[in-house]
Amino acid sequence: MNKQIDAAEERVLGELRKVRDPDLGKDIVSLGFVRNLKIEGGSVSFDINLTTPACPVKDQMRDEAEALVGALDGVTSAKANMTAEVRQAPRMDKSTIAGVKNIVAVGSGKGGVGKSTIAVNIATALSMAGARVGVLDGDIYGPTMPIMLGVTGPPDHVGNRITPRESSGLKFMSMGLMVKTPDQPLIWRGPMAHKAFHQCLFEVDWGELDYLIVDLPPGTGDVHLTLAQSVPITGCVIVSTPQDVGLQISMKTLRMFEQTKVPILGIIENMAYYVCPHCDSRDHIFGDGGARRAAEQLNIPFLGEVPLDLPIRTQSDAGVPIVRAQPEAASSVVLREIAERLAAQISIQNYNAPVLEVE
Amino acid sequence: MPGGTGPTDPVKIKKLDSQNLMIRWADGHESRYVGPVLRGLCPCASCQDEDTGQRLILPMHIPDTLEFQKVEIVGQYALQFEWSDGHRTGIYSFERLRQLCPCADCTKASRPAGSETSDPAAN
Repeated sequence: MNKQIDAAEERVLGELRKVRDPDLGKDIVSLGFVRNLKIEGGSVSFDINLTTPACPVKDQMRDEAEALVGALDGVTSAKANMTAEVRQAPRMDKSTIAGVKNIVAVGSGKGGVGKSTIAVNIATALSMAGARVGVLDGDIYGPTMPIMLGVTGPPDHVGNRITPRESSGLKFMSMGLMVKTPDQPLIWRGPMAHKAFHQCLFEVDWGELDYLIVDLPPGTGDVHLTLAQSVPITGCVIVSTPQDVGLQISMKTLRMFEQTKVPILGIIENMAYYVCPHCDSRDHIFGDGGARRAAEQLNIPFLGEVPLDLPIRTQSDAGVPIVRAQPEAASSVVLREIAERLAAQISIQNYNAPVLEVE
Repeated sequence: MPGGTGPTDPVKIKKLDSQNLMIRWADGHESRYVGPVLRGLCPCASCQDEDTGQRLILPMHIPDTLEFQKVEIVGQYALQFEWSDGHRTGIYSFERLRQLCPCADCTKASRPAGSETSDPAAN
């Protein structure tokens, strides 16, 4: 009897070995994704446990697995249940925020490229896909995220730990929440910036998070170094406009991350084009495809292009990111795809990353 | 190269005892460092002038008995040591550590006889 079950399981697993995870380049059985395989008469069910709920090819893998198993002799029904468990970046479990599985920094060379808008929308898209997501507005000099997420007022404390605020399904912390009035400027020298950022990262009760998205200030400075030096971050994403000037400066940020051995997960091109609301024609106001070409030259994943789109801005001002407020809008679809590609890059990074420790 | 492992990235870091550290690199090379020597090459601003690069602390200033208290990985790019003299501000990037490899092959290749760089690690 047991032998029969084993043989049946082996037949099912044999079929499932034909299903490959295109990002990790291996079949789902070798990757250990197949769990809870149940065979009852002719009906077969199993879980496919992916490395992110925001997997871009989730539906495709489920359909493929069900079709392959369903075509086996004697199988009357095949049901794949898609689950996900985000894997932790190496050594994060030893950090002071061990409940956070991945820290992803979002940077840009210069200000005004829409970095914070992109960061908030990516975070929201990952959260809507089912991941547990936090956002840290690291732009200590010009925090804009409280507006984009419609959050005001200081966070609560429990003892000397800060409880993050919540909005649009995200845990959220910003230096902008710590100032008494929103129009009060932060005038700080470097060491204070370092200290403030350190507090926002380590003294906040982030709890269990799959992704903590850190929105960096523009350029290269104290906050970047603090982040790169104090925690094993999974990687960074660069937001750039297509314009050459913006792009060249973005490359500086990229090199800084390279020097501190922070993996570059990809480049996102923002303000890539403008779609005329009257005639639907596309204008490449800041030039065409500059960031994509740079990504290709540097052999870095190109995560996608986001148009200049009025609703993205109005939704940011209204405090609800467009991917949540208008999930079917063209820009939301683009942003969601970018978030999925980023999640895939994070999985690839964690799969390939060497585990380094002092023995 | 973004992401991935380059030939001179570390794959194993081992504290052999309180004064000796071994790093094995992706290309298979092994470097063995002596604590007091590394301490004398500390790159922090109080051991080395930030503008001129001139050394303010040299290996000759460090007692042979100095030990590692702690060896920690910084982010993904460097090591930070806490020494038995209490000093702990130096961040040694893996790139720099590879350059400092004291083995005969590396010292011959990077610091040929008669070159101007008088790196004390070559002693």
